[in-house]
Amino acid sequence: MNLSLSKFTVVLAALAATSLEAANPVTGADAPDFVLKSVAGSNVRLSEQKSDVVMLAFTASWCSECRARDAHLAELYRRYRDAGLVLLMVSLDDDRRAAQSVASRLDADFPVLSDPRGETGRLYRIDKLPTLVLIDRAGVVRDVLVGDTTRGGGADERVRMLLREL
Amino acid sequence: MNERLESSNEAVASRRRKQRSKGPRAMVTAALATAAFALSAAAQEAGKPAPQFAVDDAAGARAGEFRTLDEEVQALKKLAVDLNRDLFLLEEELLFPASTQVSVFVSMDVGEFFALDSIELKLDGKDVASYLYTDREVDALYRGGVQRLFAGNVRAGEHELVAFFTGQGPHERAYRRGATLKFEKGIGPKYIELKISDRESRLQPEFIVVEWE
Repeated sequence: MNLSLSKFTVVLAALAATSLEAANPVTGADAPDFVLKSVAGSNVRLSEQKSDVVMLAFTASWCSECRARDAHLAELYRRYRDAGLVLLMVSLDDDRRAAQSVASRLDADFPVLSDPRGETGRLYRIDKLPTLVLIDRAGVVRDVLVGDTTRGGGADERVRMLLREL
Repeated sequence: MNERLESSNEAVASRRRKQRSKGPRAMVTAALATAAFALSAAAQEAGKPAPQFAVDDAAGARAGEFRTLDEEVQALKKLAVDLNRDLFLLEEELLFPASTQVSVFVSMDVGEFFALDSIELKLDGKDVASYLYTDREVDALYRGGVQRLFAGNVRAGEHELVAFFTGQGPHERAYRRGATLKFEKGIGPKYIELKISDRESRLQPEFIVVEWE
C-alpha cells in the first residue's frame, strides 16, 4: 500500500514537472497582435514577424521556474534562428528595470519586451508562468505550453515541426 | 514373286498411310501458323499510336475547358475583391458618417533631427489614440507613407486636438513635444494632418498640425 502510494506520488510529481498543453482559447486562432517596447528601446510588433515561427515566451524576474526554461529557449533560438525562428520574451514585471534584469541574465540577443500593465498577458489569457506560445509562419497560434518545457523535449520537437512546415 | 508383290503393296500402303496421317497434321500446323501470324499482326497494330487527329481534338477540348474554368475563377475573385471594397466603404460610412467624422493622419519629412517613437492624441481632453512605431513603420513614413492614426465622431462645433510626439531628438536625446489645434467641426468630414519635418535653420524638428481643406 505504501509502495503504491509513493509510486502514485512520484507519477503526480513527474506530471506536474513536465510541460502541459493548456486548453487556451487562443489556440488555433490568429495570434492577437500587439506592440511592446523592448528593454533595448525599440518597439516590436508581432504582426511584423509573419513568415517566421515565433516563440512567444511569457516570463518574470520573480518566476524561479522560468529561469531554466528561458535559458533553454535562448539556446533553441540561437540554434534555429537562421531557419526562421524568432524568440520574443515578454516580461510581465511591473517595473522595466526588472525586465532589464531578465535580459541581462540571459545575455539576450533577442527582444525582451516589457509589459508592465499586463495587457499582452491578458490578450493571451496567461494565468500561469512560465507559459510558451508557439505561433506558426501564417500567424496562427499552434500550441500553448504551460510549465517547464525543458523536460521531455516537447517544445523542441514542436518547434522543429513548425520550422519544417512551408 | 508373290512375296515381292505383297511387300511392295505393303510399302505402298504404308506410304499412303503416312501421307494420310501427314495431311491433317499439316492442316493443323498451317492453321496454327496462320493464327500466330494473325495474332502478331494484331499486336503490331495495337502497338501503333492512335491516329494524330483524334489526340489533338481531345487535348484541345481539355485546354479549352481549363481556359474557361480559369476565366470563371478570375471573374469570381474580382467580384469578391469588389464586394470587399464596397463593404469596407459602407462600413466606414456607417461608423463614421460625414456629418460627424474626424480623421487624423500622420506624415513625416526627411527626419534627420527626430526619430519617432510614439504619438499620443487627445481630443477635447480625452485620450483617443496612442501608437508605438516600429522601425519598419517609421521607414514607411520616411518614404512618403501617410498613416491614419485616428478616425472618430464628434458633434458640430469647436473642438481641441492635442498631439504629443515622443522620440529621439538631436544628439540622441529623449524628445517629447506637443502640438495643439483648435478646429471647427461643420457638416462635412474633417481631416487633420500631423506633419513632422526638419527645420534646417534651427536644426530642430518641427511638428505642425494642419487642417485639410
